[in-house]
Amino acid sequence: MSYSINNITYQYSETGPKVLDDVSLTIEEGTVTAVVGPSGSGKSTLVQILSGVIPNLVAGGVLSGELNLEKDGAPALISVVSQTPEDQLFGYGVEDAIAFGLENMGTPEDEISDSIEYVLDLLNLQSLRKRSVAALSGGQRQAVCIASVLAMKPQVLIMDEPVSSLDPNGKKMIRNVLNQMKADYTTVLIVDNNLDWSCDIVDRVVGLNEGKVLFEGTRDEFFRSFDLQRTLGVMIPQEVEIYRALKEQGQPVSMFYQYDDAVEQLDKLFAEKPGSVRNIRPQTFKDPVVTTHQLNKIFADGFQGLRDINVSIPENSVTAILGQNGSGKTTLVKHLNGLLKPTTGDVRFRGNTIAGKSVAQISRSVILVFQHPEHMLFEQTVLEELTFCGRMQGLPFTDEDVLKVLETYGLADEKETFPLNLSMGKKHLLTILSVLLSYAEVVILDEPTLGMDLKIRSEMEDIITNLKNDGKTVIMISHEIPLVFKTVDYAVILDSSVKIYEGSKEDLAVRDDIFDSIDINLPPVVRLSRRYGFDHISYNVPDFAEQAAAVLKEGGEA
Amino acid sequence: MDYLQYVDGNTFLHRLDPRTKFVFLVAMAVLTSVIKSGAALLFLLVFFLILWTACGIMKEMGQLLGKLKVLLLFIFLLWLVLGIFEEPPVELFKPFYKGQIGPIAICFDWYDIYKGFVYALRIYLMIASFYTVMITTNFSEIILGLCKWHIPYSIAFAVGLVFQIIPIVIGELNSIMEAQSSRGLEIEQCKWYTKVKNYIIFSFPLFFRIIQKAQSISLAMYYYKLDFNRKRSSYKTIKSSKRDLVFALVTLFVIVVTVVLRIKFYVPV
Repeated sequence: MSYSINNITYQYSETGPKVLDDVSLTIEEGTVTAVVGPSGSGKSTLVQILSGVIPNLVAGGVLSGELNLEKDGAPALISVVSQTPEDQLFGYGVEDAIAFGLENMGTPEDEISDSIEYVLDLLNLQSLRKRSVAALSGGQRQAVCIASVLAMKPQVLIMDEPVSSLDPNGKKMIRNVLNQMKADYTTVLIVDNNLDWSCDIVDRVVGLNEGKVLFEGTRDEFFRSFDLQRTLGVMIPQEVEIYRALKEQGQPVSMFYQYDDAVEQLDKLFAEKPGSVRNIRPQTFKDPVVTTHQLNKIFADGFQGLRDINVSIPENSVTAILGQNGSGKTTLVKHLNGLLKPTTGDVRFRGNTIAGKSVAQISRSVILVFQHPEHMLFEQTVLEELTFCGRMQGLPFTDEDVLKVLETYGLADEKETFPLNLSMGKKHLLTILSVLLSYAEVVILDEPTLGMDLKIRSEMEDIITNLKNDGKTVIMISHEIPLVFKTVDYAVILDSSVKIYEGSKEDLAVRDDIFDSIDINLPPVVRLSRRYGFDHISYNVPDFAEQAAAVLKEGGEA
Repeated sequence: MDYLQYVDGNTFLHRLDPRTKFVFLVAMAVLTSVIKSGAALLFLLVFFLILWTACGIMKEMGQLLGKLKVLLLFIFLLWLVLGIFEEPPVELFKPFYKGQIGPIAICFDWYDIYKGFVYALRIYLMIASFYTVMITTNFSEIILGLCKWHIPYSIAFAVGLVFQIIPIVIGELNSIMEAQSSRGLEIEQCKWYTKVKNYIIFSFPLFFRIIQKAQSISLAMYYYKLDFNRKRSSYKTIKSSKRDLVFALVTLFVIVVTVVLRIKFYVPV
């Protein structure tokens, strides 16, 4: 049994461009299919057509083609879990939210009760049933959202970027939920350009680009199609990147996409030498530019957000603030730019306290870029948005300065565009670019890769490098550990409002105990380069591949 | 502060049938609109203080008072100033000052303070009674209660949705203000007209965020097959209990005492 769409073409208006162009694909019952593609490839439109939003809710477009979405002669129930569960859950309590869809369908009370029990057991969510939705973590909320949709017994469940705003624990929870659903033979369509978190669950992949299907096949076929991965800008697990790099070198390795499989394959090439990395490269840092002194924060409800935090961020470094959600990362950075006032303790910029200054005054020294660009964008054009900080701070700049930034990051053609009409990734890029035209010496980026495809992420990495080259200090909150190790020099790790690590990346890369305590894995390149005793610890795939090639040239012994 | 956000709890007030709380709300609204006696209003305040303490929402009500203090002070001063231009209806104490400014006779006495106090207290009790019900009744209960009164589900759902969305909108506004000030927009150390101008700036992204939220919510309503023309079932039901009867009797007693105090200790204001 399968569902299919054939030769689907869609335009939002009669004269508009084809958002989907002759798209055909099959969804096998009981499988997990991933739909991937860059921003603007037509993924969201496809979701709306499959779920019936187009044409039932969004009218006025031109839809042609054939939809075979029936089961036993009746239209299949296709439900969607969005990336923002807080906008999707109706009801105060978890039970209310799960019951909502069933109540709308007129399901009798006893059947609703049975369905709630079924989904709570299936997804291991019984412990949440008496909680209020507002009190749940991001991962729990998304899990309840999935439960509320599953309770309606849909034939196909579509998940639209379900983990985009979740921390590693939240992602883990959704992965467990998906595994349970897979075991229960639920048909799932994941629409997400990030396969990093779902690679071991996905059975099939559909690749969309500019409204056309470029690929439809199994997961392994997709992971072997290196050019296609690059064309579609798909985020893949670092293990697959390693496989790709080694395969391109002509090394005799079989496909792997998880750490344990990588070890199994690479053990055949390299001798295991744990703890014998030859060179731990010493890192030296300049004097601190921002420091905190016995910083404590107790919120109005009594929650202690920070406990005796002392940190010294080195000047002209890229520093990561790491930790699970709720560990105090955002609370800490909001103290650094004065958005939050400490209960006790002090924040100093170049040795001088920032107490008594307004956030706008502090922004001339320390500037914070928020993770949701919609909170920041309000000018009429991209050009005006880019110069906002500079104008607020009275920074002199020329039209050439502005155009140079726009051209460097591919926004020159869109300089007169209304910023909110940009793709999510570009909107985020624009908010980050706007701090280039400011006096601030310290730039704080909160989850800077949110909503970015591979190309824009690469540009964002360039911005960080350029900021550092310009003498600025960058502080970054991110849940993307491979990106962190690729980009930063220095790290601060928080756990339950307490600092548990501060120091160089090199030192952190050998502290398994720290990563165990916060339940986050070190990046595969770090773990593997240590495992095989390479010359130095690798922080990115090209370096790992280069070291691997050198070792193999010497005969496989590191 | 999270305005009108439900405070989770399992107190007497939390466990009441929402309909009982709605009736209480209406009764208190009428009472505080009609009663202008200081003694009666003070009695009502004592009743509310006991109720808030028993229900563990004293902190939230204190926060409400903090937020309303400017408004209440304004009301107090307004009536105090207006009272200066009239003589007290009852001569209880000697005026603090009595005289003439040009052709206008003025008399500053206890009655002016009393009048300001009564009007400020009335407004506070009016808002606080509404707030008491709203922070002890979650929006699912509000919808259930309204539906039990045969209010159409579309209206009940809309009312519930408003209470679900208010904290989200406030959260969005706070985030926007923080984001803009982080980029250099001065919102703390500026003159009042700059603050007003800044709120216009904030309203733009807020408007778009609300539109986005509304779109997401309408999509979710579609995904969950919400159709106001179709008969729904209900997983949870509500019914009144002995607890509701006790609370209704206490409310009745409070109303009677308030009215008696109003009759016995009325000073026209």
